[in-house]
Amino acid sequence: MPVIYAKGDRTIWIVVLLLTLLSVLAVYTSTGTLAYAKQGGDTEHYLIKHTVLVLSGLFLMYITHLANYKIFSRIGQLAIWVAAPLLIITLMGGEINDASRWLTVPIINASFQTSDLAKLALIMYIARLLSRKQEQIKEFKGAFLPLLLPIFVTCGLILPANFSTAALLFLTSMVLLFIGRVNIKYILALAGVGVIAFALFILVALNFDLPGRIGTWKARIENFSSEKTEGNYQSEQAKIAIANGGLIGMGPGKSEQRNFLPHPYSDFIFAIILEEGGILLGSFVVLLYLILFLRVIRMIKYSPQSFATFLAVGCTLMLLFQAFINMAVAVNLFPVTGQALPLVSMGGTSIWFTSISIGIILCVSRFCLKDGGKEEADEIA
Amino acid sequence: MQNEQDIAIRLRIVYLTAVLFGIAIIARAFTIGVVQRDQWLAKKNKEVLRYHTVEASRGNIYADDGSLLATSLPIYTVRLDFEVEKLRKAFPEKIDSLADGLHKIFPETSASEFKQELRKGYRAKSRSTLVRKDVNFKELSEMRKLPILKGRAKYGMILESKEKRVMPFRSLAYKTLGNIYDKGKLTGLEAYYNTYLKGSNGKRLKQKMSGGDWKEVNGENEIEPKEGSDIVSTIDVQLQDVAESALRKQLLINKAEQGCVVLMEVKTGHIKAISNLTRSKTDSARYTEESNLAVSATWDPGSTFKLASVLALIEDGLVDTNEIFDTQGGVIRFCNHPIYDSKDGGYGRISLADAFIQSSNVGIIKAVMKGYQSQQKKFIERLKAFHLGIPSGIDLKEEQMPTIFYPGHKNWSCLSMPSLAMGYEVLLPPIQMLAFYNAVANDGVMMKPQLVSEIRHNGKTVKRFDPVVIDSSICSKASIRKVKPLMKGVVERGTAKNLRNPHYQTAGKTGTVKKKFKVNGIEKKSYRASFAGFFPYDNPKYSCIVVIENPSQAGFYGNIVAGPVFKEVADKVYARSREMHQGYVKVLAASEMKPEINPGFTEDLRVIASNTGMKVSMPEARWTRVRQSGAALVAKPENFDMELMPDVTGMGLRDAIFLLENMGLSVKPSGKGKVKKQSIPAGTRVNRNSLVTIELA
Repeated sequence: MPVIYAKGDRTIWIVVLLLTLLSVLAVYTSTGTLAYAKQGGDTEHYLIKHTVLVLSGLFLMYITHLANYKIFSRIGQLAIWVAAPLLIITLMGGEINDASRWLTVPIINASFQTSDLAKLALIMYIARLLSRKQEQIKEFKGAFLPLLLPIFVTCGLILPANFSTAALLFLTSMVLLFIGRVNIKYILALAGVGVIAFALFILVALNFDLPGRIGTWKARIENFSSEKTEGNYQSEQAKIAIANGGLIGMGPGKSEQRNFLPHPYSDFIFAIILEEGGILLGSFVVLLYLILFLRVIRMIKYSPQSFATFLAVGCTLMLLFQAFINMAVAVNLFPVTGQALPLVSMGGTSIWFTSISIGIILCVSRFCLKDGGKEEADEIA
Repeated sequence: MQNEQDIAIRLRIVYLTAVLFGIAIIARAFTIGVVQRDQWLAKKNKEVLRYHTVEASRGNIYADDGSLLATSLPIYTVRLDFEVEKLRKAFPEKIDSLADGLHKIFPETSASEFKQELRKGYRAKSRSTLVRKDVNFKELSEMRKLPILKGRAKYGMILESKEKRVMPFRSLAYKTLGNIYDKGKLTGLEAYYNTYLKGSNGKRLKQKMSGGDWKEVNGENEIEPKEGSDIVSTIDVQLQDVAESALRKQLLINKAEQGCVVLMEVKTGHIKAISNLTRSKTDSARYTEESNLAVSATWDPGSTFKLASVLALIEDGLVDTNEIFDTQGGVIRFCNHPIYDSKDGGYGRISLADAFIQSSNVGIIKAVMKGYQSQQKKFIERLKAFHLGIPSGIDLKEEQMPTIFYPGHKNWSCLSMPSLAMGYEVLLPPIQMLAFYNAVANDGVMMKPQLVSEIRHNGKTVKRFDPVVIDSSICSKASIRKVKPLMKGVVERGTAKNLRNPHYQTAGKTGTVKKKFKVNGIEKKSYRASFAGFFPYDNPKYSCIVVIENPSQAGFYGNIVAGPVFKEVADKVYARSREMHQGYVKVLAASEMKPEINPGFTEDLRVIASNTGMKVSMPEARWTRVRQSGAALVAKPENFDMELMPDVTGMGLRDAIFLLENMGLSVKPSGKGKVKKQSIPAGTRVNRNSLVTIELA
């Protein structure tokens, strides 16, 4: 009877732990203002809350990585059927937030963004489909269309409530299809259609007053394209933070801009990192994410199955893209989107989904063994 | 293997792109943080830290008996911060009970209005949604029992407090106490004693946060505010109340434009009551304190000034009181300008004393011209020696400078001397005239009119303002002894006989200023009626001046128009003070009181009740009818329909006249006592200007 040891790729574990440590520090330093505004000056309130979430996330990560990766193929198939109706429910019923993104789970009474679940489900499902269709992967009808269908449905259901998440998920899916050897012509053609559609949408949004979230997007696009000082308040404050930090930073806990930046603990946490740790620490964070990606590329050389490859790469890409978008926003390469920095930002239940993603990567890594992880996996299964 | 290599190549392409993107991020950060560093640092928020003022609480103003005349109460504004998670969670469930609760505390706003406003804030995630402003402490305590609000700050409740100046007696002595809100300008005692009242503000360091909010840097004030001291005024709430309502009544009856009354304690100069009422421009039955006429209105005093003329002549030994003057048919001419006596044909040959008592213009002018014609300057200097033409020094910044012309001044004419002799061509605020009368009552010792007797801090006296003697002798005691009987004569047999009463003796002088002016070429006349004097005659306790401007009903003579106010105040003082009259006063015990079914002006009844110890609470109405119900007294509001004839039987004359005149009826009373009969039956619809006769018995 084979004994399963909890391990996985050690470098990935180290990267994760370093980011987690950074997360706790950065959240503590940046929630001071929030603590004054909402908790009557109890600055430890958010530190404790966040630490508990992070620790429970690490626990979930550990549990997840103990599983057999093959199980995620089945879970993905199921989850995609669960996620779609949940997305519809949240779209219909949400009054909690102007953006109807949240769903409350009845029994444990925790609300989570259904898009977090849908993201993970879609990645697992694409990985499953890709691995199954490898034989006819270059076909349009045989592979591209069946792959496109769940992507369109999922992203389409997320889109009304959360444009940036939908776009990010779509981008991740496309890149994953590319890696999965889908014919590049189809992807480029689709991208072309997408660009035209998006251009049309922006034209419509800018010229007509549309209700709800569209108004917010419109404002963001306008702010990014024109240099209106008022609208650019956030990015200007972020730039001041970066300038404050310079090369080596102001030192831990010395941030000034946390008092002026909205959401310094999530959307703009990278600006706070740059302010307190300078470009040095900022580069290190970028490096950590790239190391994570590199380790995944390295390990899947020994991937037992194409499904394992696509699963690990999909999860990694999702984290990486989100991370880079967040950082790009902080340094004003991108317009303000509201994406958190995975593993670092404070945020309720979405931390758990990030942890599960990492858990999945670690899980796959356990089976990427030079001396035939394939057999081991089969044995376990 | 082919496939795996394909995947590996594609992965490398993606990885390379990611690396490039990562480099772009770092490069961008470098550009901002190093290359453009100074440019962005220059945009740093300048006001990161700032000292915020912590307002000191303002001191109180007390009446002479310790009643609170003006105080500062905290007044709150309650808001909700809809970004607070606990509030967002609890709100949908609790909104109904919260809105109902708020409606119960503030009945003027409906529950659905509250709900609507709060929902709006909830949807907009507003960080400061107004729940209620101008909330007093009691209401706040009630609010804190409601759902959500009882969670206080944890549930997003934001509490702002500021101080509101409150005058518990509302309009009482309003302009004298002053206001701290008048267009940012302080007035009255609030202004004069501001340095004591205001205290000193503290400071608290705050840091600016995102969204423009300020948070405290330290838990405490860097500089603690020091609360203001209290001032104790000389005003007697009861007398003030009597003076004010008597003045208001008289203004109403005479449909006058404005008027004032000041009551001063002879020995100390303490002002016990000071009231200034001006008719509202929109409602002719409404009189409010609009300006402090008593100290700021520079008016010709008219005949009340004759006291100065006579006293000057006596003091300078120029004319004696028994010297006879011919009033020569009641007219005298100066530079072709006739000056008449108010009585047609004059008073014949009368003594100076009688000229004063009857207020003969011709008689007084002839006496003054006889004494001072060749030495006009001496007259003015004598007046100055009486401190006429010099500010009284009362503790109000509103006091105006008086005007008296000198011979040789460009405005000085052949009419000036005779005019001055009878109180024209001289402009004095009533308070200065009163200070002079008070000095006469006080045997020549002139006291400074004073409104504040001490400063207190936390109940301890820190500064006392003792009575100030401005002049220990404005004239010889012998002269005073000569003019005082003349003043008594005015009331006993002269122009103010209507003020005579069997209980105590009053002395004073009437004044009726006739003003002629042209409106669109048509000559019009208007009057200013006044009365100044003191009481009781033998041992003067109080001096008092009443001035009523532009009476347009009933009459215009000082005794008729202004006199009753003086009398009412004096009566009140007499009734209240036992030491003032020798006779034994039988104070009726409450049980002995036999309440009459007698509707009256609520304010009066309230005073009566409090003075006699009757235990009955008065309703918030203008008129009240008190009835006996078993052993207890019950006061019910009496609502008079302004178009139906009321039942005035059982009322005193004053109340009946006040009520009926107020309805626009002309009243013809006869008899004494209480109203027994009225010519128009109660309940009849009446027109304005109808005549109603009432019989008293």
